[in-house]
Amino acid sequence: MTIPNKEQVLKALEAVIDPDFKKNIVELGFIENLEISDQGAVAFDLVLTTPACPVKEQFVAQCKQILTDLGATDVRVRLSAKMRHSAQEYQGESLISSVHHIVGVASGKGGVGKSTVTANLAMALSLSGARVGILDADIYGPSMGIMFGIDHDPEVHEDRTLTPVTARGGIKIVSMSMFADSGKATIWRGPMASQMIQNFIHRVHWGELDYLFIDFPPGTGDIQLTLTQNCPLSGSVVVTTPQEVALADCRKGLAMFDAVNVPVLGIIENMSYFICDQCDKHHAIFRSGGGERIANFLGVPLLGKIPLEPAVADSGDLGQPMVLRYPNSKSSQVLSEAAGQIAASLSMLSEEGQGLGSFSLDWNEIPLEASC
Amino acid sequence: MLNTPHPRRIYRTDAGKLGIEWQDHLQQEFGLWKLRSACPCASCVDEWTGEALLDKNTIPEDIAIEHIQSVGRYALGITWSDGHRSGIYTYERLRKMSNTNIANKNV
Repeated sequence: MTIPNKEQVLKALEAVIDPDFKKNIVELGFIENLEISDQGAVAFDLVLTTPACPVKEQFVAQCKQILTDLGATDVRVRLSAKMRHSAQEYQGESLISSVHHIVGVASGKGGVGKSTVTANLAMALSLSGARVGILDADIYGPSMGIMFGIDHDPEVHEDRTLTPVTARGGIKIVSMSMFADSGKATIWRGPMASQMIQNFIHRVHWGELDYLFIDFPPGTGDIQLTLTQNCPLSGSVVVTTPQEVALADCRKGLAMFDAVNVPVLGIIENMSYFICDQCDKHHAIFRSGGGERIANFLGVPLLGKIPLEPAVADSGDLGQPMVLRYPNSKSSQVLSEAAGQIAASLSMLSEEGQGLGSFSLDWNEIPLEASC
Repeated sequence: MLNTPHPRRIYRTDAGKLGIEWQDHLQQEFGLWKLRSACPCASCVDEWTGEALLDKNTIPEDIAIEHIQSVGRYALGITWSDGHRSGIYTYERLRKMSNTNIANKNV
C-alpha cells in the first residue's frame, strides 16, 4: 500500500462522527498537528472539547482502524482537550481589579436570610463611608432588586460591558433580577449560568470600590466554583440558622471556601431568637447555641446573632435595608457590628498577607532571576 | 483556617525553570517538563482511578509555558506551548511536589 498524504488522511477521518455534535471530527477542528513520516507513520492531536469526553477511546480506536486500512504503518493519537467554557477561559482585562476587597456571602442551604444579611452588611459599610458594591450571583433566585427597590436596568454597552445600577446609599448593584422578567424563572443549565456569572465578574464597570459583596447562590455547586475560581475573594462569610440541619449545610459551605483557600471571616447566625413585639421577651424558637458550637468547632468567629424582629421585618420588602430604615433596632446593631468586624478582619488579612493576589502573566513578563 | 501559603513572588530562572517564593519564604523551582508531566487535569490523569492517561513521551523536551495565571486564591492555571491548558495546579499540590529545587532563605 502507498503512504497516504494529509488530504487523504483528513478525508478518511471525516468518517468519525462526534455523537454529541453530530458532525465529523475534521469539520469540528479536533485534528491538529497532523504529521506523516516517510515510513508512513501517522501522528496527530485529537483536541476534544472536554477532557471528560465519554467517547474518546472510541474515537481513538476508530481513527486507528481507518488509518491502518488506509495504509498507515503506525497511528499515534495524542488526546488533549480545549475547554471552550473553562473557568480559566476569560482572557483580557478584568474590570474587577479596581475592587479592593471581595467578600463572598454564602450558605449551605437556602432560606437562611443570606441576601438580607448581604444587603445589610453592604449598607452598614456604606453608611460608615466606604464605597460598596453588591454582585447578586444568585441567578436562579435574585432578590437584590426587591431589597433595594431597584426599578431600572443597568446600562449595557456595545463592548458587552455593564454599568451597575446605583441604589440607596450609593451602593452599586448588578443582579440577575435586572435582566430577567421577575415573574419568570431562570431555567439555565450550568454552563450558561457560569457564562453569565463570568460576565458579571469581569465585565462590570464597578469603578473604585472598597468592598464588593457577592451574594452566593445557596449550596456548593457549579456557580459557586466558578465564582471562587474567577474572583480573587479576600474572604467569606457564611450565614446559617441555629437548627442542626442548617448547621450541617453550613459546614459544607465552610469546607468549600477552605478547599479553595478563601479565608472564612466568620459565621453569622440568623433567626437566632424571636423578640416579642409586645413584651420584648426573647424566645429561642429554634434551638440555641448552634452558631457558637460550629464557630468553636471550626475555629472561626461568630460575627453576630440576628434576632427575628417583626418590627423590622418589612424593610426588605420595602426596598430599604433595615440598617438604613431601623438603625436603632437590635438586628441593625448586630449587623453593623458584624460589618465592622468584617472590615477589620479584611484590613488585618491584607496587612499580613503580602501574597501576590491575582495575576495573569505571559512567560516573558515573569521576572528573570538567578536560581536560588 | 488558612493553611496553604500563597505565592509571594513568581519568577523564572536563567535555566528556564519556574520559581515560586511562598509567603513563608520557602522557595521552590520547578522544571517545566516535570511540571507539564505532573498535570493533574482529567485528560492527563483518570478522574476515578488516578491512572496516568498522559503519555510522557509525547511531551516535547523543550516544552514551554506561554501564560500563567492565578485561579481564585488556591491554584495556578498554566497554558503550555503544546496548547494544553486545562490543568489547575493547586498551591497545596505544588508545595508537595518533590525533587524541586528548594531553598529557605529566611530560617
